Amino acid sequence: MRSLSLYVKRDSLIHKIDPFTKIIYVFVSVISPFILPTLIFSTSLTLINLLFLLLGRVVKKVLPIISFVFIIILTIFIIQGMFYDANQTELFSLFNLNFYVEGILYAARISVRAINVLLAFSLLILTTPPTEMIESLVRRGMPAKLGYIMHSVLQIIPMMSSNASIIMDAQRARGMETEGSLWVRIKAFIPLIGPLVMSSLVNTHERSIALEVRGFSAATQKTFLHQEKVPGGMKQLRIFFLLFLAAVLAWRLVL
Amino acid sequence: MQNNQKKNLWSFNFSTMALVLIPVSIGINYVGKLFAQTLRLPLWLDSIGTILAGILAGPWVGAISGGINNAIYGLTISPVSFAYGITSIAIGITAGVMARMGFVKSMKRAVIMGLVIAGISTVVSTPINIIFWGGQTGNIWGDALFGILRSANWPVWLASGLDELAVDLPDKIATTIIAFIIYQGLPKRITVLFEES
Amino acid sequence: MKKITINNLSYKYSLAENKALNNISLEVEKGDFIGVVGPNKAGKSTLCKSLVGLIPHFYKGEFEGEILIDNLNTLNSSIAELSLKVGLVFQNPFNQISGAKLSVYDELAFGLENNGLGREEMITRIDKYLNLMDLNEVKDNNPFELSGGQMQKLAIASIMALKPDVFVLDEPTSQLDPQGTEEVFKAVSRLREENLTVILVSQKLNKLADYANKILFLNQGEIAAYDNTAAVFSRNDLEQMGMGAPIYTEIARELGLKNEKNQYPIRKSELKEMLVAKYGKNIG
Ligand SMILES: Nc1ncnc2c1ncn2[C@@H]1O[C@H](COP(=O)(O)OP(=O)(O)OP(=O)(O)O)[C@@H](O)[C@H]1O
Ligand SMILES: [Mg+2]
Repeated sequence: MRSLSLYVKRDSLIHKIDPFTKIIYVFVSVISPFILPTLIFSTSLTLINLLFLLLGRVVKKVLPIISFVFIIILTIFIIQGMFYDANQTELFSLFNLNFYVEGILYAARISVRAINVLLAFSLLILTTPPTEMIESLVRRGMPAKLGYIMHSVLQIIPMMSSNASIIMDAQRARGMETEGSLWVRIKAFIPLIGPLVMSSLVNTHERSIALEVRGFSAATQKTFLHQEKVPGGMKQLRIFFLLFLAAVLAWRLVL
Repeated sequence: MQNNQKKNLWSFNFSTMALVLIPVSIGINYVGKLFAQTLRLPLWLDSIGTILAGILAGPWVGAISGGINNAIYGLTISPVSFAYGITSIAIGITAGVMARMGFVKSMKRAVIMGLVIAGISTVVSTPINIIFWGGQTGNIWGDALFGILRSANWPVWLASGLDELAVDLPDKIATTIIAFIIYQGLPKRITVLFEES
Repeated sequence: MKKITINNLSYKYSLAENKALNNISLEVEKGDFIGVVGPNKAGKSTLCKSLVGLIPHFYKGEFEGEILIDNLNTLNSSIAELSLKVGLVFQNPFNQISGAKLSVYDELAFGLENNGLGREEMITRIDKYLNLMDLNEVKDNNPFELSGGQMQKLAIASIMALKPDVFVLDEPTSQLDPQGTEEVFKAVSRLREENLTVILVSQKLNKLADYANKILFLNQGEIAAYDNTAAVFSRNDLEQMGMGAPIYTEIARELGLKNEKNQYPIRKSELKEMLVAKYGKNIG
C-alpha cells in the first residue's frame, strides 16, 4: 500500500531545496498575480514556474494536472468572450455569436493566473515528499497534532479506497446491482459506503487509545527521529522571495 | 538542525478522539466521492465525512476536517481545491452548529440541515467561483445555466450563485441525509466519547 | 516490593447501567506475572484501561477508589505520564498502529518523539526492540502491510521502547491465527525475561500456566479468585465459578494426582514427573 502522494523521485536541483523554502516560494508565486493582476506579470511567473518544473525534470507529470482544468478554461473563454460585462470591441464572430476583445483578455488573465497556481503547487508537490513537507512545518511551530492529522490522511485515503474496491467487488459478487437506472444506482450507495464508514468510525475509539498510551497528549516538547537537511544559502533565498512579495505589494500600492 | 524550542503558534487543544476522527472523516469524503463516481451518480457526495465530523465532534472539528480535506486534495490531486477550502470549512461549521441545535434528532430536521448547508455552501463558493473562474463551477449543467443567464444579461453574481446552487442543492441535501443515517447507526458508546471530550 | 496497589476500585461507564468493576482491591508485587481470566464482560478490559489511566482520564463515567503504581496515583497523573510507567497492548493489532508513519522503523519512534527523547537514545532503543521482537527484516515495510502477528509484535515493541515497568496485555492473541499467536507468546516470554511486571489477560489457560505466577479471576466486575496459579487452578469450585483449567491440570484432576502442597500440576513437565513417580518410567 502506498501513501497518497504525487511525489516523483528525481535527482535534481529543485529536489535538493528544502521543503520550507519551496513552500515560501509557492506562497509568493501564487499570491503575487492576485495582488498585481496584469497579464504580463502572471505570464512571466507562469513561465518561471515552467522553467523550474523543467529543472526539476517533472514537466511531463504536470500535464495530467493541467488537462484537468483544460475544459473549464475553454468554457471560460467562450462564456467571457461573449458575455463579459465590459465587452465592447468585437474581435470575431462565429456562427452568429460575437466574441469581444475585453472578454477574451479577461478570460486570458484568469486562466493564466489559474495555470500559474497549478504549476506552482505542482512544483512543490512533485518534488517534495509529503511527509517531509509536513515535518518541516511541524518543526517550525505547526502543532504536531495537526501534523499527525495530515500524515494520517495520506495513509488513510489509499487504504480506504482499496477497501472500497474490495467492498464493491464483494457486493457485486453477492448480486448487488450497481448498473442500471439512476434509482438502482442510488439505492446501491448506502450498502456500499455504510459498512466501510461504520467500521472506520468505530475504529477511531481504539486508535485513540493506542495513541494516548504512546504519549500522544504528552505536554513534553516533541522531538524528531529524522534530521532536516537544509542546503546552504536557503535562508537568503527565502528572504529574497519575501522581499519580492513586498515589492509586488509596494508596486500595487503605488500604482 | 533541531528546532524544538519553539512554542506552538496557536494552541490546538482537541481531544484525541476528535483528532483521530479528522483523517477518518476525510477518508470518508474520499470514498463517498469514489462510490458516487463508480455508480455514475449525478452528485459529488464528497463531504459526508466533514458533515459527520461536525455532527460528532462539533463545529471546530468539522471546520478542520473541511479545511484539511481541501488542503490535502490541493496538495495531492488538484491544487484548485485549495481555494474551496473555505467552503468546506463553512460546511463543517454549519453541520456542527446545527447538530448541537438538535437538527440530527429526526430525518425531517436533517433535511432542513441539508438545505441550510446547501445555502451556505452556495454563498461561500460563489465569490470563489467568480474570482477564480469568472463565475463558473465546472459542472456542465450548472455552467449551461450560467451561460444562459449571462446571455440574458443577468448580473454575474446572480448567474454564478444560481449555477452553484443548482449543483449544491441536490448534492448537499443528499450528503446530509446520508451522514444522518450513518450517525444514527453508530453505537451510542462511541458517540458519547466524542461528546464527552 | 509492591508495584501496584488497587484500593476499592469501582467504575461505571457513562451509558452503562451496572458497574463494570465493583470494589476491587488487590496488590501486585514487582516482577509478578499475573494472568487475568474471566467470562465475557467480567471487567477484564476495564481493569486494564484503569491501570494505564485511560479510566478515568479518557473515559469519563463514575470512578471510585484508587490505583497506585509505585506511589503514583493514576487519578493525579496524565495518561502520557503514566505511559512511561505502564504500557498497554490490546486485541486489535491494526488499530494500534499510529497511522502516521510509513515504516516499521519510524512507527517505533512515534511514542519516543511524543515523549521528547533525544535522537541518539531513540535510535538505540528502536534497534534494540526491533531485534528483540524479530522485526529487523521488516523494518522498512509499511506497518499496515505486516501480518497480524507481526503487527502485534510491533505494538509490543512500540510500547517496550517507552520502557515501562509494568506491561499490560489485553487478549493480545485473540484476533490472531495460530502462527501469529505463537509469535506473540514468544514475544511475551521476552517480556518476562526483561523482568517486567506483567498483567496478561488471556483465555489461553495452558499458556498462562506456563508464564503466570498468579491468576486473577474476575467475574461480574468482582474478584472471584486471586492466588498463586497452581492454587487457583486446583480449586474444586472452578466449574461452579464458570472457569476451566489448563489441560494438564484437568488430566491430573481426573487421575486424582496431587502434589505435596495438595495442588494439581499445571504444566506438562510437572504432570509427567508425577506420572513417572507414581507409575514408573515405562508409562510415560
Ligand atoms: N465503552 C463502554 N461503554 C459502556 N459500557 C462498556 C464500555 N466498555 C465496556 N462496557 C461494559 O462494561 C462491562 C465490562 O466490560 P469489559 O470490556 O471490561 O469486559 P471484559 O471482561 O474485557 O469482556 P470480554 O471478554 O468481552 O473482553 C461490560 O458489561 C461491558 O458491556
Ligand atoms: Mg475485554
